[in-house]
Amino acid sequence: MNETRKWILHRISGVILVPLFVWLYFSFISLSTKNYSEAIYFFKNPLFEILTIVLFFVGFFHAKISLNEIFEDYIHNNKTKDVANILALTLSIIVPVTTLILLIYKI
Amino acid sequence: MTGNQNPISPHLQVYRWHISSLLSITHRISGIINLLALILIFSWLLVLSFDEGNYELFLLIINSFFGKFILIGFTWSMSFHILSGMRHLAWDLGYGFEIKTANISGIIVIISSLILTIILWVFGRGLL
Repeated sequence: MNETRKWILHRISGVILVPLFVWLYFSFISLSTKNYSEAIYFFKNPLFEILTIVLFFVGFFHAKISLNEIFEDYIHNNKTKDVANILALTLSIIVPVTTLILLIYKI
Repeated sequence: MTGNQNPISPHLQVYRWHISSLLSITHRISGIINLLALILIFSWLLVLSFDEGNYELFLLIINSFFGKFILIGFTWSMSFHILSGMRHLAWDLGYGFEIKTANISGIIVIISSLILTIILWVFGRGLL
């Protein structure tokens, strides 16, 4: 991915995340006062399920690009930087995919 | 140093602090905290997928003093990052570069992030 496209996608993902994050925090702050069955019931709603999954995919995509930027600025050893970038990429794939599986099959 | 000769910019210890530099580094730090928050929410879903007993224990931790402290901190970090991100977007579109404007928008970001945190907690916890 070239740097200009990365920069643009980083901004677009940021804009998408604004309403999603406000919704997510509001929901989870509310869920902290609710019990197990109410929480399960909450995620039975397909809209909330889809919003959570989208948030995790877009959020980790945004985080991955940001981490690449931060590593570029603060890690001066190229080998260490490569390893850090691979770890960021792995995390940004594993967590959203696991969330997708959890929400569709387990909860 | 051989190889990469790019200037190694963000120097945090060298320059005198301004509201602009303070907000710039806080934007980065809050972004990383948001990543940790997202991982906590991921664990929340993970525990929810186990069974009721584990979930009740998880809720007990979340609702302890320490848990609430972390959760409120995460809420502020998200609020700040979103509002500061909007300020960055305005810059990307070419607005708000004058020093006075940038300082005022910086202060607005700090104050609104606190207000957004309070609103989310008051309405989220059903206190109103």
